[in-house]
Amino acid sequence: MKRHLNLNNAVMNLPRRDARDKLLGRTKYTIDAVGSGDLHAVLLRAEIPSAKIKKIDLSAARGMPGVKAVATYDDAPGLHGLGIADTPIFAKDVIRYHGEPIAAVAATTLAQAREAAKAIGVVLEEQGAVLTMSEALAGDAVLVHPDWADYGIIFEGAERQGNIAWEATVVRGDTDGAFSRSDVAIVEGCYSVGRQSHVSFEPRVALASYVDGRFHIQTSTQVPWTVRHVVARVLGVPDSHVRVTVPAVGGGFGLKFDCSLEPYAAVLARMTGRSVSISNTRQEEQMTCLCRENAEIRIRSAVTADGEIVGREATVLMDAGAYGGEQVFLSTMTAHTLGGNYKLGSIKLSSLVVYTNTPPNGAFRACNGVYNTFALEQHTDEICKIIGMDPIEFRRKNVIGKGDIGATGQIFEGDVLKPMLDTAIENYGAHENKTLPDGRLYGRSTTVGTWFIFVGPSSATINLNSDGSATLVTSGVEIGQGTMVQALPQIVAANLGIHPDDVIVKTADTDASGRDLGVGGGRTTVSVGAASEAACAEVRKKLIATASQLLQTKADNLFLSKGRVEMRGNPGSGMTIQAVIAQVEADFGPVSGSGSFTNPGILAEPGCAAGHFIDAIDMPVHAVHDCELAVDPETGHVEILSYRVVQDVGRALNPRAIHGQIQGGVVQGLGYALQEEITINENGAFDQEGFETYRIPTALDVLPIEFVLHEGAPSCGPLGVKGAGEIPILNVGAAVACAVANATGQPVHQLPLTPPRVLQVLDGKDAILNFPHISPVWKDNTIRFA
Amino acid sequence: MTIRLKINSEYLEYHGDPRVSLLEVLRETFRLTGSKSVCCEGFCGACTVHINGELVASCLKPVGVLEGMEITTIEGVGSIEKLNPIQQALEDHDVVQCGMCFPGMVMTFTSFLVSNPNPTRADIKAAMSGNICRCTGYERIVDALLSIQMNGEVT
Repeated sequence: MKRHLNLNNAVMNLPRRDARDKLLGRTKYTIDAVGSGDLHAVLLRAEIPSAKIKKIDLSAARGMPGVKAVATYDDAPGLHGLGIADTPIFAKDVIRYHGEPIAAVAATTLAQAREAAKAIGVVLEEQGAVLTMSEALAGDAVLVHPDWADYGIIFEGAERQGNIAWEATVVRGDTDGAFSRSDVAIVEGCYSVGRQSHVSFEPRVALASYVDGRFHIQTSTQVPWTVRHVVARVLGVPDSHVRVTVPAVGGGFGLKFDCSLEPYAAVLARMTGRSVSISNTRQEEQMTCLCRENAEIRIRSAVTADGEIVGREATVLMDAGAYGGEQVFLSTMTAHTLGGNYKLGSIKLSSLVVYTNTPPNGAFRACNGVYNTFALEQHTDEICKIIGMDPIEFRRKNVIGKGDIGATGQIFEGDVLKPMLDTAIENYGAHENKTLPDGRLYGRSTTVGTWFIFVGPSSATINLNSDGSATLVTSGVEIGQGTMVQALPQIVAANLGIHPDDVIVKTADTDASGRDLGVGGGRTTVSVGAASEAACAEVRKKLIATASQLLQTKADNLFLSKGRVEMRGNPGSGMTIQAVIAQVEADFGPVSGSGSFTNPGILAEPGCAAGHFIDAIDMPVHAVHDCELAVDPETGHVEILSYRVVQDVGRALNPRAIHGQIQGGVVQGLGYALQEEITINENGAFDQEGFETYRIPTALDVLPIEFVLHEGAPSCGPLGVKGAGEIPILNVGAAVACAVANATGQPVHQLPLTPPRVLQVLDGKDAILNFPHISPVWKDNTIRFA
Repeated sequence: MTIRLKINSEYLEYHGDPRVSLLEVLRETFRLTGSKSVCCEGFCGACTVHINGELVASCLKPVGVLEGMEITTIEGVGSIEKLNPIQQALEDHDVVQCGMCFPGMVMTFTSFLVSNPNPTRADIKAAMSGNICRCTGYERIVDALLSIQMNGEVT
């Protein structure tokens, strides 16, 4: 059957429809609605990392001026979580981190709510705290969750024990045999990274009201359906009793991929019968940021003299903070990030999610992938040094291509990374040794990275209006990435032969749209886009069937273009889409269509992965990053001289918008690689409380990022697209670290590369990092195989 | 205490605590929410306004010291029908993402380009160093601003 649309019609640099209001200050984010309701709420948060709660006295607070309600654990006792139900919204008997909510107060004014929160009497008995993963894994460690074994299991199959919240393992092939071969070099390294804070400009914020027996929550979130579910779960009501709506979101980057303040607003709205708003102050936002987790990695590889990787073993410790959170899921990703990029003869991987008495971590753009790519690429360069092979040649020889198998045994389609490497070298030139006239040390790196598009369930409905416009109803959220204002209107328009300006995109409302996994993992364009295409197919079928009768021609002979139904080979002979819509409506009623999508279910090798939420990656996506930099040997300052990207995008629907994602994502990665640092003090709190001490890049820290978009890689996405917003940050830590290592002649084992740390690298003091709490014997780091 | 202000050409009165920041008064008393409350410490630039023509971080300015002063916020710059040249360039180059920093960016550049109508790339980057953006990586904003042909008309 002939295709009814021309794919090229979808490709355009469509400008954002929300730009004008944003530039005029007219856009109403959720934070701008705070105070428009009846009551303000604040949280009383713990200021200690670990304690028993002996008593909470609310009587004084309840009697304070303006106070309408005070809520504690008893008012919302449900536990939630991704794999394990370990997370309360209020501390019950135990404080597990500095910043943990103990109570919430609703009052007429914000000042009254704050005063009342101060008046809550909390009697605590301080307990020992584990603030690092090394402390948490010690034999005599205090358990963050002494009743870990009693928690409800939401996702079966993982080993857990004590402070190890979750274990994900991969065992494929015979690594013992590989490491005992006489013809291999064994290369080993340890790597360490700190946390990264998202610093979304709109803080976490929620408004709730209780209307006709149901909750209505307006919030700044990436995951309306997760919010709906978690609020219902912790309040003990059916999911259907919660409605979530989401206006424009002022930045997310993964921070808002979890339920946050919504349950507090909801419980107070029910208690008072009034509408309640709650938002984090900037200090609260930073101090309880669900950061990209700090991680510690040990990796070793057995490599032959001609560069074949016959065995690889690695252990990754991921700090969950006080509750399992997103890390429980993200432990799955190690198989595809640290275990990714390269063909491996055999592999053993373990990812341990470790509880500590620190603020919980969460999801952050290319979660897990960013630091595992750093470790893997720096390890790869160390391998090349030891076996004496050119790093580009080594990568060309070893990157995953068509028919190769991944860590969990999935078979990859298409050669993607190797041609991308070739593109990088063709465009950016071969590596050469340079000396800089000013005495600074020059270094360059070319690194590869593998991430995936996190597909999964999405749904879409299209209502075709009598004027020929289409209304698209989904649960997609516009967090700044452009999907809702560019990619989706472009996809729908191309499918219906109309202009994207004639596609109305409804903001997320769980009462209006079907379920969706949320905005994250680069999935919205792919999953919501595919569901939208399916909805378009139904609409198109109805239009074509009626037009076929009106025009007395076969359906196959008709196509939609420029607001008309046209006959092939006879331009202008068809009719307007409005006329067809009118006829369909007269015959059958208004024109609508619905569509859904979920992951295609790529097969992996049975039995090799345990504790994994997914065994294979549905849509691999790759990046090659090339970085040139100068290191000042006196100060340790690193200046990026050039930064160049080849990115696998499947099909570039809106190249200009992708440029925006690459520039912004790489710069966020440069912050991670060079300057953004969170340290945790003895009180279990971050030392960096705000913008002054947590330094994100300014205009003076950045440079224009050059890029080439690699099109044509296999994709199950609509029109062959892949998500383009997540991956630009993936290789940045790796590329900067490898270039600094090349500049200094010393390996790099830790990020961020702040000037003091670069001086350590130059002095050779970063050369050996050895974690005593991660055994060189792989199985000793596991529960399942120990 | 009563403070008389002229905000976006309109005379308004604030009655209350003079120590409250101008930002809070704009957002909460007058519901002018275009100026964004992000860091509240003068680092991010998202709350930038003009006070008697000068660029000011409104989060740092107690309203009590502003008696009789003329304040322009983002709501007073451009209109739905006609953006100012800076807003227009930023729209034309499709550089907006989440949008939270842009009101402050527009205020900064509306002032900056009056005194520097032909800036270099480095001038623009220096001028925006007090306006932090987490989404865009800045450079495309610079490209947009460099495209503006100044005809002596910024506001």
